[in-house]
Amino acid sequence: MSTFRTGQNSSNPNKLNNILSTLIFILILNVSIQIWLLYASLNNALDNNKEILIPAFIASVILFLIGFGWLYYMPKGNFRKK
Amino acid sequence: MSKEDNLNENWKKDFPIKKQESTQVSRRDFAKFLTFVSGGLMVGSGFVTAKAFFLPKEEVQGEHFICNKEDIPVGGTRGFVLEGSTIPYILIHLESGEFRSYEQKCTHLSCSVFYKPGTGIIHCPCHEGSFDALTGDVIAGPPPRALPQLEVVFKENAVFVKALIDKKES
Repeated sequence: MSTFRTGQNSSNPNKLNNILSTLIFILILNVSIQIWLLYASLNNALDNNKEILIPAFIASVILFLIGFGWLYYMPKGNFRKK
Repeated sequence: MSKEDNLNENWKKDFPIKKQESTQVSRRDFAKFLTFVSGGLMVGSGFVTAKAFFLPKEEVQGEHFICNKEDIPVGGTRGFVLEGSTIPYILIHLESGEFRSYEQKCTHLSCSVFYKPGTGIIHCPCHEGSFDALTGDVIAGPPPRALPQLEVVFKENAVFVKALIDKKES
């Protein structure tokens, strides 16, 4: 039975290359936003502004889950077996 | 088969990893590593939140006597540490005649700050940060937050400090 994964993995290496580059790009974007969120929440925690902390944490969790789920689309590579 | 070809073949047997394979694996590992970092940042954010809600910074309790008014000349500063604490504070006698008390730690990297007499500016020499001596707000430089402040109260001639009641609520 062919699944999405086997179909994806048998596609052209150029396409796999694009998929992997996009995946890494999005992950870097997510991590950058998370660094910004952590910096902002640290500053606000030290300044005794607690309202922002929980929304920032939730946003961070969502970004992590997006990145984690995103790994499902990571290609395994289209290698010819001899 | 020449000697060179033979060497190449043996080399391939000893190290049977294709170039394309190795580069693709490293990018996949990089993607996994980025996700791991993302998880770390999430945990860090959760830690900051938990710390702020469950173990908040202790407020200064009660009023503490520092010195008498005439002990500090106009434009002068006096450093002090409250009992049971290690945080250094400064008490400043401003040119306008008012007294202000702040933590002596710069909010950037905790260098000690000092009051520049005659300018109304508290200065941090490490990275050229400047704070307004009247309010503690950041005027220039890298500090991200205002200096934490203590409230100064007078009892006749004596100067006391106590925790500043947050004005942001009003």
